[in-house]
Amino acid sequence: MIRVAAAGDLHFGADLRGTLRPHLESLLERADLLLLAGDLTRVGDPGEAAILAEELGDPPLPVVAVLGNHDYQSDREAEVRKLLSESGIQVLEGESVVIEFDGQRVGIAGSKGFGGGFAGACGSDFGEPEMKAFIRHTKEIAEELEGALSGLDTNVRVVLLHYAPIEQTLQGERPEIYPFLGSYLLGEAVDRAGADLVIHGHAHRGTEKGVTPGGVPVRNVALPVIRRPYNVYCLEDGRPLS
Amino acid sequence: MKGGGPAERGQPDHYLVQHVREALAADPRVGELHVEVTMAGDRVFITGAVPSEERRTVIAAVVEELLPDHEVSNHVTVEPISGVPEVEQLG
Repeated sequence: MIRVAAAGDLHFGADLRGTLRPHLESLLERADLLLLAGDLTRVGDPGEAAILAEELGDPPLPVVAVLGNHDYQSDREAEVRKLLSESGIQVLEGESVVIEFDGQRVGIAGSKGFGGGFAGACGSDFGEPEMKAFIRHTKEIAEELEGALSGLDTNVRVVLLHYAPIEQTLQGERPEIYPFLGSYLLGEAVDRAGADLVIHGHAHRGTEKGVTPGGVPVRNVALPVIRRPYNVYCLEDGRPLS
Repeated sequence: MKGGGPAERGQPDHYLVQHVREALAADPRVGELHVEVTMAGDRVFITGAVPSEERRTVIAAVVEELLPDHEVSNHVTVEPISGVPEVEQLG
């Protein structure tokens, strides 16, 4: 059994120093790895990332993260990513990582994702260059994600995103802003490649639990949604426990 | 046809509210996209939840700087990271 701890939207900064660490002390007893679903910092300042890295300390278990839109706000996302990586946090962007536990191999494909909306109420690759660029950006991200996921030959495959791949976990948000919260292209990529679990954040007023049209469980772990430091999802041998 | 500026059409609050939201997002002291802003006359109401008292205070300061002639009612609550993690067996 693989126990996946996950949290999103920490929005860390100097004012939160010392507030996360106490909750991580029991993490090793509860989980095998920790996934962080983007918006790690408040405004993407490398100083904020350094404080988060310090808070996570020398992680007692593998920590895998993706960046979120807040982590891009200061145009210093490369520094944020480098700083976290040097602190032992694997930051994925259209890539995958394989972690081994007791003979089981867990593959994680990660990407920030992007917006665009959901089937029937989404932007199209049509019209002005800016509109085409918006949707093409999401298409490229979805293609990268599918490639990273398809390349995983592991017992368990988990997808880590910031933006949402389905509408269900956005319920509670205003439908008008769904196109800025996620894209069906991400869900379609997951369903084509196959996965055991998708973790995302970003939608603070959304809902924790959903499922892709292809049947993959989706969990929105934005802290304001789960209202806990993290939640733990248990998966066994490539398929959810029944 | 009736003339008149934006004030007579009652538009300023409509735009001001969004300007305040934009300021809360863009100001590097805040970077907050999840606080609600409403206006009634010369009063501005801010609601939502943030994880620290410092963040709550700075949000109000930014709004006061932007609208010095308005009264700011800060109803933002502080919800620190807390609680016991839930464990879910998927299936």
